[in-house]
Amino acid sequence: MKAWQGAVAAIVLLLLAGVPWYGSAVLVQFGINALLLAVLAQGWNIIGGFTGYASFGNSVFYGLGSYGVAIAMVQWHLPFAAGLAFGAALAVVFALLLGVPVLRLRGHYFAIATLALAGVMAAIVSNIPLAGQNIGLVLPPLNDDRLFYGLALGLLVISTLVVYWLTRSRFGFGLIAIRENEDGAAVMGVNTTLYKVLAFTLSGVLSALAGGIHAYWITFLDPESAFDISLNIKMIIMAVFGGAGTVLGPIIGALSLSAISELLSSQVTSVATLFFGLVVIAAVVLMPHGLMDLAQRVRTRSLRWNYLGENVRANRL
Amino acid sequence: MELLIQVAVNGILVGGLYAVMALGLALVWGVLNIVNLAHGSFIMLGAYCSWYLFQYLHVDPFLGLPITAAVMFVLGYALQRGLLNLIVRAPMFNTLLLTFGLDVVLTYLAQLAFSADYRTINPAYAGHQWHWGTAVFPMVRTGAFAIALALTLGMWLFLLHTRLGRAIRATAQNLVAARLHGVELRHLYALTFAIGIALAGAAGGLYGSVSQINPYIGASLTLKSFAIAIIGGLDNPLGVLVGGLFLGVVEALTTLYIGPTFVDVASFGILTLVLIVRPTGLLGRTA
Repeated sequence: MKAWQGAVAAIVLLLLAGVPWYGSAVLVQFGINALLLAVLAQGWNIIGGFTGYASFGNSVFYGLGSYGVAIAMVQWHLPFAAGLAFGAALAVVFALLLGVPVLRLRGHYFAIATLALAGVMAAIVSNIPLAGQNIGLVLPPLNDDRLFYGLALGLLVISTLVVYWLTRSRFGFGLIAIRENEDGAAVMGVNTTLYKVLAFTLSGVLSALAGGIHAYWITFLDPESAFDISLNIKMIIMAVFGGAGTVLGPIIGALSLSAISELLSSQVTSVATLFFGLVVIAAVVLMPHGLMDLAQRVRTRSLRWNYLGENVRANRL
Repeated sequence: MELLIQVAVNGILVGGLYAVMALGLALVWGVLNIVNLAHGSFIMLGAYCSWYLFQYLHVDPFLGLPITAAVMFVLGYALQRGLLNLIVRAPMFNTLLLTFGLDVVLTYLAQLAFSADYRTINPAYAGHQWHWGTAVFPMVRTGAFAIALALTLGMWLFLLHTRLGRAIRATAQNLVAARLHGVELRHLYALTFAIGIALAGAAGGLYGSVSQINPYIGASLTLKSFAIAIIGGLDNPLGVLVGGLFLGVVEALTTLYIGPTFVDVASFGILTLVLIVRPTGLLGRTA
C-alpha cells in the first residue's frame, strides 16, 4: 500500500467514525445497517470472491450469531461479549461440521447444498425450545446507537484487514489458486480441503459477529428474520456489484447499494426488494466484473465507450 | 396399518405432482446447464394463472391447464431469448445469480399484482373421493396424479421420438456437434426453456387445485424440485418420476411419524445428504 492510499483510507475512516457525532439519528441507524451489510458482503467475499465457492448459505452464520447472542443473554443471563463469543463458536462448529462434506461439492452442487441448508435452518430452530421456537426471543434493550455504530464499524475494519491480508499472504494465494483451478492448486501442494474449510469458517465467524451485533441492536429475533434467505442475495450482490475478490469492492458495493435502496424506500415503501432483484439482473448482464473493474479501467485508461456492450458480447450465446 | 396405507397413498399422489414440478427444472438444467433458482416462482405464476382462469372465467382447473401451459410457454421463450441467452456462456455463478434475481423480482411483482392472501382453486367436485379397499382417493388429487403421470410419460416419449426432442438431447450431449448438424441454438435454447417453464406452469395449476397458494411458495418449491432432480438424475423423465414419488412418500411419512413442521427439514435434509453422499444423483447421470 502506498503512503497516499494509507492517508486516504485514514481520512475516510475518520469521517465514517465521526458520523455519530455530526450525523443525525436516522443517519446513524442507516449507518449501522449499511456497515453490518458491508461486513456480510466482505465475509462472503472470502468464500465467494477469493475461493470461488458461491455460497448461498452465509445467512445461516448470520442467524447462528444472532441466536448465539440471544440465547446467551436471555436464557443464560450472560454479558453481550460472551454472547458474541458463543455465536462465533456456533458458526465455527457449523462451518467445520458441514463445511467438510459440503465443500467437497463443486459448482452448482455447492450452491444448492448451501441454499438448502439456509432453507432448513429456520425450520430446525423453530423446533428448539431453548431458542424460543416460533415465537423468538426478546433481548434486554440497550439504547446506545453510538456504541452499535462503533461496533459495526470496528467489525468492518477487522473484516477488511482480514481480506487485505488475504491479498498478500500464502493463505490468500492458496484460496485464489483454488478459485482459478482447484486441481492445479492441489497438484501445486495447496491443502485444498483445509484451505476451503478455513475460508468458510473465517467467512462464517465474521457473518456471525455481524448477526450478533444486529440482534442486540434490534433486541428481537425470530427464526424467519434471523435466517432470512433474502439476506444472501443482498450480501452476494453487494460483493459482486462492487467487485468480488477485491479488498474494497464489497464495501463500496454495500454502502452504495444500501444508500440507493434507502433513498428508494423513502419514496415507495418495500420497493427495496425489487430494486435488489433488478440490480442483480442488470449487474450480471452488463457489469459482471463489478465497479472495481470499471475503476481499474478508468485508471489505466483502457475503458472503452462500449464497455457494457463488450461484457454482453463476451457471454451471450 | 390402514393409516400407513393411506399415508402412502397420499404420498404417492403428491409425489406425481412433485415429479412434474421437477421435470422442467431437470430439463433446463440438463440441456442448458442453467440451474434455475426462479423455478418455484414460475410454478407459483402458473398456479395464479389457473386460479384467475377459474375464478373469473370459470374454467375448470384441469381443462385450464393447456391455457396456463401456453401462457407460461410464451413467457419462458421470451425470457430465454431476451435475457438468459445473454449470459449462457458466463461462469456458472452468474447464471445462478441472475435466476436468483429473477426469483426476487417475480415474487415481488406477484405480491404486488395478486396480494399476499392465500388462494385456493375450489371446483364443485373438490370434496369428492373414491374408496378402494380401506384407502381413500380424493378425486382432485387422483386427477392431478393421473395428469402428472401422463405429462411425465409424454415428456419421455417426446424427448425420445420427436425431431425436436432429439435436437434437445443432442444439444445436451454435445453443443458443438449439435450446432454443426444445423441446430439453431438461440431458438432451441429458448424452446427448451419455454417447455421447462410450461411444465412448471402446468405443475403450478395442479398444485393450486390440491393446495393453497400465495406469492411466497416459490422458494420452497424450488428446493423441493432440486431434491427430486438430484435424486432422479437429469437425463430421464422417468428418473424424475421416481424421485418425485420418493420425496412425496418420505414427506407423508415424516408428517405422520415426526410432525408436520419437519416436512421441509426432511426434504432439504435428503437433498443435502444425497448431494454429499452421491453428488452425481441416485439414478442415472447428472450434468
